[in-house]
Amino acid sequence: MLTIVLRSIIIYLIVLIIFRLMGKRQLGQMQPFELVLTLIIADLATIPMAEVSVPVLHGVLPLLTLVVLHFLLALISRNSMKFSKMISGKPVIIINPKGIDYKALKKLNLSTDDLFSALRECGYFNISQVQYAIMETNGKVSVMPKAEFSPVTNSDMKIRTNETFIPIVLISEGKIIDENIALAGLSEEKIQKLLTKNSAQKNVKVKDTLLLTIDQNGECYLQFKKGEGKTFQTKGLVAR
Amino acid sequence: MKWFHYLNFVLIFLVIVGVCIFEDILVSKTLSSIEERCLYIEKIVDQEDNLKNMIFVLAIDNLEYDWDHNEEKLCYLVNHKSIQEIGQEIAKLKLYISDDDVASARVSLELIKFYCHSYSHFMGSNIHNVL
Repeated sequence: MLTIVLRSIIIYLIVLIIFRLMGKRQLGQMQPFELVLTLIIADLATIPMAEVSVPVLHGVLPLLTLVVLHFLLALISRNSMKFSKMISGKPVIIINPKGIDYKALKKLNLSTDDLFSALRECGYFNISQVQYAIMETNGKVSVMPKAEFSPVTNSDMKIRTNETFIPIVLISEGKIIDENIALAGLSEEKIQKLLTKNSAQKNVKVKDTLLLTIDQNGECYLQFKKGEGKTFQTKGLVAR
Repeated sequence: MKWFHYLNFVLIFLVIVGVCIFEDILVSKTLSSIEERCLYIEKIVDQEDNLKNMIFVLAIDNLEYDWDHNEEKLCYLVNHKSIQEIGQEIAKLKLYISDDDVASARVSLELIKFYCHSYSHFMGSNIHNVL
């Protein structure tokens, strides 16, 4: 049994490394060849895990071969449009201003039900609202609504708004994130001062903090492990 | 860190090639060594009237040691179940010494040689195995 446990750990770690090497795209937007690869990996990994007489290398070596193959295919796809189209296909317009392209739909082996389901997932329940719908190579449908059904933006309404920025997390669950402090151009002393200033306690410590974020406008969000969160504006303390 | 990403794949590729070469060399070396030892033992059986002599016993011990030693390495690369017959035949050979069963010993030696041939066929890299 110990053998099976150890083998499972080894194979799990190897599969984890393999998925990390393949990149994040693997998880969300799989191209056809990536889907094939994922299915094969799942199958291959289980063989040496359960069968003790099969060497671990029998499972690992095909996995590594597939990783190298995937890397080569991705590399060639990136450099050659023709190859990329051959491997992953190309996006297909399934709804155009004239209506549904039935020929394209048939070619993709899709029914009108499938099309409606995809449109509903995109938030469009009426086909008359759609100007274009495109079937992407990863199987997802992108929709461009007709002008009258497009969501109103600030620009449409001529409303002037301040630019928003992504806040940088400085402290998370009592731990200072050094990388982000350097990114924000701050120091630990400045962070400590900020905590002391905004806490009811006298000797408040970093480990008592649940979350501290700062954005490029100097707006901070601070919440201690015991207490409520609060938003405040800092003076002279602006993330770069 | 793009070079590091490329390096990972180059290293994995080299590992694959390395393992393939190692397997090929180990399999052919082990099997040819076992076959040679079998031929040597067959010569002893031809020359001696009985199996209860030191040369034969020593030769069988060497064959067993050689196989056990190489089998450990082969188990990293090949399914254990597929290579157990040689070990079984060697164990039988040892039993035949006490019974002084020359005919059965000859059969076992022939079988070991046969297994060596068949193992090299299914473990080696050839078009039959690929397809």
